[in-house]
Amino acid sequence: MTAPSALRLISAGIGEMVVSDDLDAVLVAYGLGSCIALAAHDGRRGVAGLAHFMLPTGSRSAETPVKFVDPGLEVFIEAFVAAGGDPARATYKAAGGAAMLRLGGANLDIGQRNIEALRQGLERRGLRLVAADLGGSTGRTVQLEARSGRLFIRSIAGTKTL
Amino acid sequence: MQTMELDEAALATRFTGAMVCAGEALAEMSGRPIRIATPAVRPCSPDEVVAMAGGPEAIVVGVYLGVSGGLQGHALLVLEPGSARRLAALLLDGLADDGPAAEPEAGQLGELERSALGEIGNVTISAFLNEIGRRSANPIQPTPPQVVVEMAGAIVDGILLDLLGSTERVLAAHTVFHDGDDRIHALLLVLPDPARLPELLADRPRPSA
Repeated sequence: MTAPSALRLISAGIGEMVVSDDLDAVLVAYGLGSCIALAAHDGRRGVAGLAHFMLPTGSRSAETPVKFVDPGLEVFIEAFVAAGGDPARATYKAAGGAAMLRLGGANLDIGQRNIEALRQGLERRGLRLVAADLGGSTGRTVQLEARSGRLFIRSIAGTKTL
Repeated sequence: MQTMELDEAALATRFTGAMVCAGEALAEMSGRPIRIATPAVRPCSPDEVVAMAGGPEAIVVGVYLGVSGGLQGHALLVLEPGSARRLAALLLDGLADDGPAAEPEAGQLGELERSALGEIGNVTISAFLNEIGRRSANPIQPTPPQVVVEMAGAIVDGILLDLLGSTERVLAAHTVFHDGDDRIHALLLVLPDPARLPELLADRPRPSA
C-alpha cells in the first residue's frame, strides 16, 4: 500500500476531516482505535473526503469539526458538497470502532456507539455504507485513494482493501 | 472541561517514591538488582504522547490497568516490543529469549512474556496508585492488567476517549528500568480524573473517614 511519490498524502487527525478534488491525493487517518473513519467518494466529480470521528455525540467545535459523529457528519457532508461532490451519488465506506481493551471507566463500548451513531446518521440522510471494516479488537490505519475510491486498511493483522 | 493544574514538583516526588517501591518489589521477585527511575514527568496532549511512543502507527506493547475508587481513570505502561521482551526476560530469568537478536515480530509475545509484563505493569502502576492513594479517603483500586500489542495511536485513543469531556491531558513519565548497567526505556501514562488528582497530590494528611 506504499503510495507512489507523485501521490499527495493528506492526513486527517483525530476530530479532523479532509476533502479534496485532487485526484492524486491520498487521504489518511492513522492509528484508529475506538475512533471511526468515514470515506466518501464521488468518482464522477472527482471529489474524495475522509472524516476521523472520535465520539458519537457532542457539541460542534471549530477546531475539531468532526470530533463527534453527531453533528460532525453534517459538517463533513457540507464540506463534501462545497468541494463539488454530490453526497447522493457518492459511495461511503467506513473503518474503525474497535475495542482493544476492557476499559474500567464509565463510558464503555465507545467504538460500538460510534458505529451505531454513524449508521443512524447516514440512514437519516438516506445514505448507506457500501463497504465497512468495523468493530473487532484491532487498531487500523486507513488510506483513501482519491482517484479510485479504494480504501486501504492496515492493521497488525495485515492489509485489506475495500 | 477541566484543566489539570498540577504541582509538577509534587508529581515528580510521588513518581520517584513510587518507583523506588516498585523497583524493590521487582528486584525481590526477580532476584536481580532492578531499580526504576522516572527522570521526566509532565502533563502532555494525546498527540505528544503518541509521538513519544513512536508515532500513531508504531507497534507497541501496552500494559493497561483501569483505575476506580478514590481516583477514576486509566494507566498504561508503553514499551517498544524489543524492550518489552527484554523487560519480561528480567522476570522470567532466561525462560524467554533475551537480547536484540530475539526482537519479535508484531504480536508475537509469548504467554509467559505477556504474563511477566502484566505483573511488571501491575507492580509499577500500583506503586504509583499506592503513593497517591495515601491521601485518599477512598481506596484506589486498579483492575487486573491487560497486555496488548497494537498501534500506539489506537491504544491511546481507546483509553483517552473514555475520559474525554473531563480531560485531554495525560501524565507522561519517561520511565527507565535499570538492571545493573542495562537500561530499558518505557513510557508510563496516567489518565486521571482531573477533579481528584490535584487534591491527591497536595501534601497533606489523609482525611479521616
